[in-house]
Amino acid sequence: MGRFLSLMIAGFTFIASTQGLAAREVQHELGTTTVADQPKRIVALEFSFVDSLAAVGVSPVGLTDDNKPERITKEYRDIIGNDFVSVGARKSPSLELIASLQPDLIIADKTRHSSAYKALSAIAPTIVLDSLTGNYQSALKQAQVIGDAIGKGKEMTARIAAHKARFEEVKAKVATAKKQGRTFQFGVVSSRGLYLHAPHSYNGSLLQALDLPLALSANGEGVSYESAYVKTTLEQLSQINPGVLLLGRYSTPALTDDWADEALFKSIDAVKNDQVYYVSGHTWARLRGVVAAEVTFDELVNAMDQVAKKDAK
Amino acid sequence: MIVKSFQWLTLLVALLLGAVLSLHVGGRADVGIADLLAVITHWDSPSLSQSIMVDIRLPRTLIAGLLGINMGLSGLILQAITRNNLASPSILGINQGAALGMTLAIMLPGFFPIADEAMAVLGALFAGILTFSFAGGLRAKVSPLRLILSGVAVGAFSFAMVRFSFTLDDEVSRDVILWTTGDVAGVRWHDTPLLLALSLFGIIASVLLAHRFNLLALGEAASQGVGANPHITLVLGALIAATLTGISVSVAGPIAFVGLVIPHLCRAMIGSNHRQLVPAVALGGAALMLYAEAFSKIVITGEELPLGVIAAIIGAPYFVYQALFSKEMGL
Repeated sequence: MGRFLSLMIAGFTFIASTQGLAAREVQHELGTTTVADQPKRIVALEFSFVDSLAAVGVSPVGLTDDNKPERITKEYRDIIGNDFVSVGARKSPSLELIASLQPDLIIADKTRHSSAYKALSAIAPTIVLDSLTGNYQSALKQAQVIGDAIGKGKEMTARIAAHKARFEEVKAKVATAKKQGRTFQFGVVSSRGLYLHAPHSYNGSLLQALDLPLALSANGEGVSYESAYVKTTLEQLSQINPGVLLLGRYSTPALTDDWADEALFKSIDAVKNDQVYYVSGHTWARLRGVVAAEVTFDELVNAMDQVAKKDAK
Repeated sequence: MIVKSFQWLTLLVALLLGAVLSLHVGGRADVGIADLLAVITHWDSPSLSQSIMVDIRLPRTLIAGLLGINMGLSGLILQAITRNNLASPSILGINQGAALGMTLAIMLPGFFPIADEAMAVLGALFAGILTFSFAGGLRAKVSPLRLILSGVAVGAFSFAMVRFSFTLDDEVSRDVILWTTGDVAGVRWHDTPLLLALSLFGIIASVLLAHRFNLLALGEAASQGVGANPHITLVLGALIAATLTGISVSVAGPIAFVGLVIPHLCRAMIGSNHRQLVPAVALGGAALMLYAEAFSKIVITGEELPLGVIAAIIGAPYFVYQALFSKEMGL
């Protein structure tokens, strides 16, 4: 009898524990989704989701790379390998390809994929996070949500803690580039336009978190893609007058190259004092998350070292 | 006669005020029309504000004006050769055809062995030919309704292709969207010569063809009767209109309504003699675009709205008004 009882208890415990493991409720932008405990076949529809998976060493079966394999950078491939399928562009992923991968979790973006949420949910449990218009802090929160959703909550917490330690180091280092009245600004430039990243954008909030004052002033909370990335003419740029300009280049020659000889461009503090730095536009502007941010940190620390050196001269 | 002079004076004043307004406003509040006057007196050592005026504001204003001339004239020509007052580059699908040519050039850089501008002109020509052939080709009678419907079909198809590019890469789609909504924020002096040359060509060609347009207005038989082959007028007119539209679209995207609204307004003011209508439409088109250019910089502080959006905001209500109350639409 005693043995039977203990067996029964063991059996119940087993059932209870497997049930506990069997599924997990994940809260996200569009509601709550039940996700299998250890999803093995994950499809990530934004770069930041790939970043979060890479942060805890998980490889997705499918991801969006905008049909440009180089957009999944070496930093990611070193961790997730090359054994994944591209399901197309982030903007218009192929539902057919996603379904064919038989995923058990899909991670989608609020701005880009809300309209496809039903269709995606019909394929597999789908969670929706605000990657595109989210800021640095929300990117870290989303990383934790993803960590929890895939049953790697503890690992993610540890990874984010390590990242935050790194963040503090960087914050101390870049402080050397600060100077009374000096402002900093990040933007991307193509052959047709210069887009400054507003304070509420991902990069804007990252620089602000690092205590670097931005040239573009905050006007309202960022809600849309458009308001986070402000198209700026040369006249407006000269009015904003950044002291240090960090630019991600999307084309050669870019608009800023066309401006190089113009008196107005030369009158901008950053240009006048040779404080314009070109950084990786792809890593800064398209990627986000702990892995990408650490690449950004390296480039930023480099640039800020040079700022400080030029000041010392 | 006095009334006529008054009308011309109104157009000239409108143009001048538009130019002043367009030069006066911009990204920097500290630069204004006073700097233009200062440029004239201190040409040798311009200040920063003066060089902003010369390097950035002047070419922008000039280009906006030239775009207005081109779009207005191509609208006038299309209305004359189709004898249909609803015709305009956007309604006949020519604008959208040019946009498609330009979009292809943006999407596939290096794929086409010709300049972007040439792609836009080709697209405009191709769309125009399609519209006219769907509507009954160069046969004597082209029904206005069929022409408009063909134009709408060709335009919708072309723009569907343009819209397809919006689904592509963020950066490509941003470039295409920016340009299709009519953005002249980045223009400089080096963008002006081709447009200027073609605008001059457009004005001269339209003046030379004005008599033929007048004859065509009397009907094809009447035109034929006095020795002006209406088919030649039609082909020449269509070529000029497509060229003017194509080059304008390549600079600032498909700006709708200017080509429709300005010829109507001028006809109401000046009458239907094309010899007077051509200069009037050139003046009026330029004036409208100068105001649109100025407002595009005013509406949202710190940012700019694309020119095409403002032109549509000004032009669309007039179009609705025409459609509702005008007897001359011929529908």
